[in-house]
Amino acid sequence: MTAQIKKMFARTQSGVSWLQPWLMASWLLVLVTGPAIPVFAAGDAERGAEIYTVRCALCHGDEGDGMGPAAERLNPPPRDFTMAQYKIRTTGFEEIAPADADLVRMIHDGMPGTAMPGWGDLLSEQDIDDLVVFIKTLAGLEEEEPGKPIDYGNQVAISAESIEQGSQIFHDDDRCSECHGQGGKGDAVKKLKDDSGYRTWPRNLTKPWTFRGSNDPRDIYTRITTGIAGTQMPSFDDPASENRLSIEQRWHVANYVNSLAKTDKVVRPENTVIRAVRVEGRVPTAPDDPQWQQALPSTFLLVPQLIAEERFFTPTNDTITVRAVYNEEEIAFHLEWDDRTRSIPGDKAAEKIADPEISEDMVVIQLPMALPRGTEKPYFLHGDAAHPVNLWSWHSGTTDSAPRVSLRNARGLTDTIERDPVAVGLEGTGSYRDGTWQVVVGRSRVTADPTQDLQFIEGAFIPVAFSAWDGSNSEQGSAHTLTTWYWLLLKPPPGNQPWLYAGCTFVLILLLELWWARNARRRYRS
Amino acid sequence: MSKVTKGLEIPRLLQAALVIGGIYLAFWAVFDLLLGQPIPRSLMGMYMFFVVAGVFMVFTATEQSTRELVGPIRALVEDPSRRALRNVVFAVVPGLAAVGVFLQMQPSDEAPLELRSIHPAPPSSVKIFGKRYDLMSLENPYRHLEKDDPEQFRELVGTGGEVYIRNCQYCHGDKLDGKGPYAQGLNPVPLNFQDIGTIAQLQESFLFWRIATGGPGLPKEATPWISSMPVWEKFLSEDEIWQVILYLYDYTGHRPRSWGHE
Repeated sequence: MTAQIKKMFARTQSGVSWLQPWLMASWLLVLVTGPAIPVFAAGDAERGAEIYTVRCALCHGDEGDGMGPAAERLNPPPRDFTMAQYKIRTTGFEEIAPADADLVRMIHDGMPGTAMPGWGDLLSEQDIDDLVVFIKTLAGLEEEEPGKPIDYGNQVAISAESIEQGSQIFHDDDRCSECHGQGGKGDAVKKLKDDSGYRTWPRNLTKPWTFRGSNDPRDIYTRITTGIAGTQMPSFDDPASENRLSIEQRWHVANYVNSLAKTDKVVRPENTVIRAVRVEGRVPTAPDDPQWQQALPSTFLLVPQLIAEERFFTPTNDTITVRAVYNEEEIAFHLEWDDRTRSIPGDKAAEKIADPEISEDMVVIQLPMALPRGTEKPYFLHGDAAHPVNLWSWHSGTTDSAPRVSLRNARGLTDTIERDPVAVGLEGTGSYRDGTWQVVVGRSRVTADPTQDLQFIEGAFIPVAFSAWDGSNSEQGSAHTLTTWYWLLLKPPPGNQPWLYAGCTFVLILLLELWWARNARRRYRS
Repeated sequence: MSKVTKGLEIPRLLQAALVIGGIYLAFWAVFDLLLGQPIPRSLMGMYMFFVVAGVFMVFTATEQSTRELVGPIRALVEDPSRRALRNVVFAVVPGLAAVGVFLQMQPSDEAPLELRSIHPAPPSSVKIFGKRYDLMSLENPYRHLEKDDPEQFRELVGTGGEVYIRNCQYCHGDKLDGKGPYAQGLNPVPLNFQDIGTIAQLQESFLFWRIATGGPGLPKEATPWISSMPVWEKFLSEDEIWQVILYLYDYTGHRPRSWGHE
């Protein structure tokens, strides 16, 4: 993941800088040979068809219509090549054909956040050229000349002023924020569908690692200019649109969008430990308490539940950020995750945006019932018969019922026992703002019955896992996202012991040295 | 001439230090920088212990080399003219040791090491789909078609591909390289079938067992409690499992191992 992100952040115009000489050469060729003969990449459609059958047909379908056997289990669905709609392209929205280099780039690098991998390691440049020629035949574009690239004008460098201007254009008349949200998190106010009728979600602009075509300002400028074909993302260079922006304005917006990246929500795979911070006073109970800033955030990937019946393939939640704080008596978790929809069953507006059946949003903290001895942990999906788990749940509430916490013990997916959260002092609060849930759940570290509840001991590595439900995405029961086991560590303050031992070491070695030196001198004299 | 080379010679003590430092840097360069997979600190400590011990053994192999190694240290302690330097060294050494102890005493927040066997020994027989299979003699019932009826074989590979794309690619990836869209969220990470160290080393009966019984079917040394491999006998038929196995070998170009000629 990090390598991918680095690559994306580092991708400065590489897609374009090598495209331009190519295009220039092709135009030169057009001038020389006369415009009657179109110019194409040096590819062989027949070879491309063979490669397509082996590498691409399983998702994109034998006919290239995106109807491969896994189509309904992929989100976003595989591209339908017969529609000639290429989302990530550098040619103007009115052009029929994309530039070949646009297709080459998508095949070579893949699309982050989708099932489309980069094929650059498995396919040669020639293979990819052949594929591009073949893919264009699927849309009947084999006779079309590559479209003209958009006008980039003079790129406006990133600066505070440019970002500020971009922000104004973004929010002015809700131009972009209508779909992308006030904070750019793509929190929905409208139900969006693409031309094929699939539900689409506005991009969460604070998570650049999910951008299909990188968050380099030049790439963002390109998306704003071309729009995204087949979706409700319009071109802001369309002369017919009253929302049309000048080249300079589009650069400002691009710089603003680029500035929205929330790097603290980047998943760092090497970070597997939540370090709970010890405080002297009370443990914070409000999600926006500034005390939470003392604790280091750990962000984990949420993956769909693909293991047990009913399996779930099309999640919307993708990461969860966790902090923990404790004192002598209590511990509390702060959970934060981006969810485009606040799901309130019974609420008309919420139900209109939601996919049926709407249910509450929910988050679960899973802990082993007893601290594991050795390496053996409970099965990461709801524990097992020999190793039960505690499940702390927070439910977002309906129009009829307030948000609440619940407590269960589980010995496997089907074997759960509902318990009274009040009996162990389990409490929770949540708040939803601009596409983000923040939930605090906590209880006393020690409970009355240590055989039923995990006891939070300082210094021990405690397995912990999380699950989340987006109630507007038909997520109920076993349809949800989850993390694997991570660790929670209540890191005790070190105390004076290190000082004591370090001091003793110093004195001991010094004494040894003096003794050695004295002996040596004596030997030297004699 | 010989005098000149002697003047350039690196003292044995410095040589030893350079070798140890060089090896440490090499570890760091290869695993941290190149592969991006840092060695856990505790493991690194173990490796470096053997490196230091090995270097010490080489450098003290003969009496002559031992003398050359400890010579500068002895001279420092015994020669009165080097007193000032000695005092500095004598103050710095315990100081460094004290700092080391102090850091060592800080409570660690590195995750505990979880060692697991990736290809555990299979049981001799296993119960799947309500039947008992002898894994020693179990063979892919469709493998023989590769020679006997290539056309039908291609068809079965194709069906296997459909099973794969509908069920397996989320984790193991379109390219069978273990880098599916959700692979990063799992620990242990999904196996890379393109790698020469996975299915190329295994028999088809082993794959059948691993696919059908999934993570929970693993023996304890392979930490079944963290494996996210589903129990596929709940979702796929026996035929589908054999077909997807055909696809795995066909797509990667690997050959399954057999008991025959090894």
